[in-house]
Amino acid sequence: MAYFLQLVISGIVVGSIYALSGLGFVLIYKSSRVLNIAHGQIIASGAFITYALTVWLEIPLYISFFISMGATFFLAMSVERVFLRRLIGEPIISVIMVTIGLMSILDGIIYLTPFGSVNYSFPEFFPKTPVNIGPATISWTQLVGLIITFVLIGLFSWFFKRSTVGISMRAVSDDQFASMSVGISVPRVFGLAWAMAGMSAAAAGGIIGNITGLNFETLHAFGIIVFPVVILGGLDSIIGAVVAGIIMGLIQQFASGYLDGKWGLNGTADVLPYVILLVILLFKPHGLFGTHEIERV
Amino acid sequence: MRHQHVWMVPIMIVLGMVMALTPAAHAEVYKLALSLAITGPTSDAGNPYSKGVEDYIRYVNDTKLLKGDTVSCPIRDDQYQTDITKRNFEDFLADGIVLYLNYSTGSTLALKRDFEEEKIPVIPASFHAGNLEDSNYIFLPIATYSSQCIGLAEYIVANHKGDTPKVAMFIHPSAFGRGPVEDVQKAVAAGLKMDIVEVVEHGKDLDNTAMLQRLVSKQVRYVLSQTVQSPVATLLKDAQRLGLIAKQFGEEGKLTFLGAHYTGGNDLIELAGTAAEGYYWTTSYTLTSEPGEGTTFQLMLAKKYGRDDKTANSHNYTNGMMVAQLAVETIRRVKAKGEKVTRASLYNELNAMNGNNAYSPGNTVGPVTYSPTDHAGVDTLQIYSVKQGAFHSVGKPFIPAFVAKIKK
Repeated sequence: MAYFLQLVISGIVVGSIYALSGLGFVLIYKSSRVLNIAHGQIIASGAFITYALTVWLEIPLYISFFISMGATFFLAMSVERVFLRRLIGEPIISVIMVTIGLMSILDGIIYLTPFGSVNYSFPEFFPKTPVNIGPATISWTQLVGLIITFVLIGLFSWFFKRSTVGISMRAVSDDQFASMSVGISVPRVFGLAWAMAGMSAAAAGGIIGNITGLNFETLHAFGIIVFPVVILGGLDSIIGAVVAGIIMGLIQQFASGYLDGKWGLNGTADVLPYVILLVILLFKPHGLFGTHEIERV
Repeated sequence: MRHQHVWMVPIMIVLGMVMALTPAAHAEVYKLALSLAITGPTSDAGNPYSKGVEDYIRYVNDTKLLKGDTVSCPIRDDQYQTDITKRNFEDFLADGIVLYLNYSTGSTLALKRDFEEEKIPVIPASFHAGNLEDSNYIFLPIATYSSQCIGLAEYIVANHKGDTPKVAMFIHPSAFGRGPVEDVQKAVAAGLKMDIVEVVEHGKDLDNTAMLQRLVSKQVRYVLSQTVQSPVATLLKDAQRLGLIAKQFGEEGKLTFLGAHYTGGNDLIELAGTAAEGYYWTTSYTLTSEPGEGTTFQLMLAKKYGRDDKTANSHNYTNGMMVAQLAVETIRRVKAKGEKVTRASLYNELNAMNGNNAYSPGNTVGPVTYSPTDHAGVDTLQIYSVKQGAFHSVGKPFIPAFVAKIKK
């Protein structure tokens, strides 16, 4: 039972970090129907900015964390303004190709900095003794990551449901022309969606960087690793990202805990989420919570 | 009288020019080249490696180590992509290189046939034993990953108390990671008394709880890693959180972590922090945490060319520097024999580097020895362990006995 509980807790922790990492995809797709392939690079940038502020400028970690979220807010907003705004109305494949190009550009910029080829690690801020939850344990870094994840996801959910700007973003997502006709600035909404995605990416980067250390390859890989999570949850659903993230985290932990090493199986934690993803998509092609659009002609 | 002086001036100028140009006319430029990942995957190792090569070649030219001759060694980034490596290699061939320095396991395996066709000696940064299969021109600088893992396995068996030790291997999901598994299994079959309970190929894991607890439930006491530092650091941090890191080697109910060359070094300590304490690591290189003649030279070299402390103390900087030393020493020996420096003469000289001709670069724990049937350079390994934030030697350098046994 203790083993099972430990796997559940680890699965929830990992899953919630997946959810936070995947949130950026959802925010952008929800408002603009664009998939940002360069999301992993923004996650890495957020982690590196937090590190630089904390270690090189000796700013306390929690302040650095928020400054880095602010920095990626403007970084992502600028990216949208410079590269993507002029593509509004262009075929979706063109937009995706631009985000692939953007990925290369951000890679190149990061490789020009020390972070491109040197490993760093955040100073150990939290107590080394783990937090005990019954017979299971969780590290302080994981616990803080978990809390930040749920707070941010809660804030984003509230923002979309209650705030005027959030509602206007949902309106743009539903119908761009109708939104324009009631005076909503669609380009501004797109910019804001990118900015918020950048902010969530920085938060994810800070948390992942605290867990794995700052290695560029590891960090930007999370942009791809969380892709099945957002597909499973439904590309335009925040709650979908959370549920799918936790499902994926739990599947990985249970697969590793109960299947790997038995019957000659190995690496099921990496494969099984994709198998389950395929099975679910067979029955729910728009993901668990994705919008099922009906097009009338 | 004044007229006599005037006509001597042009003669003096011509004589001066001839004298100035005479040594240059005889000076040779020996062309080497290096293609490696300065950006992209594994660039954390490739970057200091390239600086080690670059600095030593500059040192050779600046201090005229080859008398009037110089070495040119252009370095190109291949982003860890074999197609780019191949393109770089072809460009270097067109430029007339006599010895080639390669990097990754994948590209070394992929270009093996090209090296054979070109009959060019190659020294890669990959220590994969498979590089040497069906190959005549690849020379590994140090012991293979297989030798390193077998060496660690022998250390486990020699120091384990109790029944047959149970070991898990934690490997990179690639040829680089999988390479040594079969050889360790062969060593076990040849009489090395340990059980390989599980071979785990890792992914980009954020939490290894399930895997670690599974291993403990199977009475595994040792985790032998053949991968890069980042996943090992995450593994160690998780083990620390779960209270599973052994305080003494082989402690019952806990896990003792060990790993081959690319799992360790200062980067591991940087990434894993205090969780790296007690990590056992093997390589054939000396470390700056244990000052000696070789490390003093290394630090001087890094300082001379303005490298930061992190680079100067990186074992991958040592690695690159040693490979350049090896290439230059081979050139020097060919020259000393009065032969022309060509691919063939360098190849023959490398093959003759044994017995009294073995080469000690100063930054390895044993001499570099090659022969026509042995292309793994330094056979000797040193085990290091992290104590108070730095790697320190454990025991004396040794040559794993089962490496020879499994070859028979």
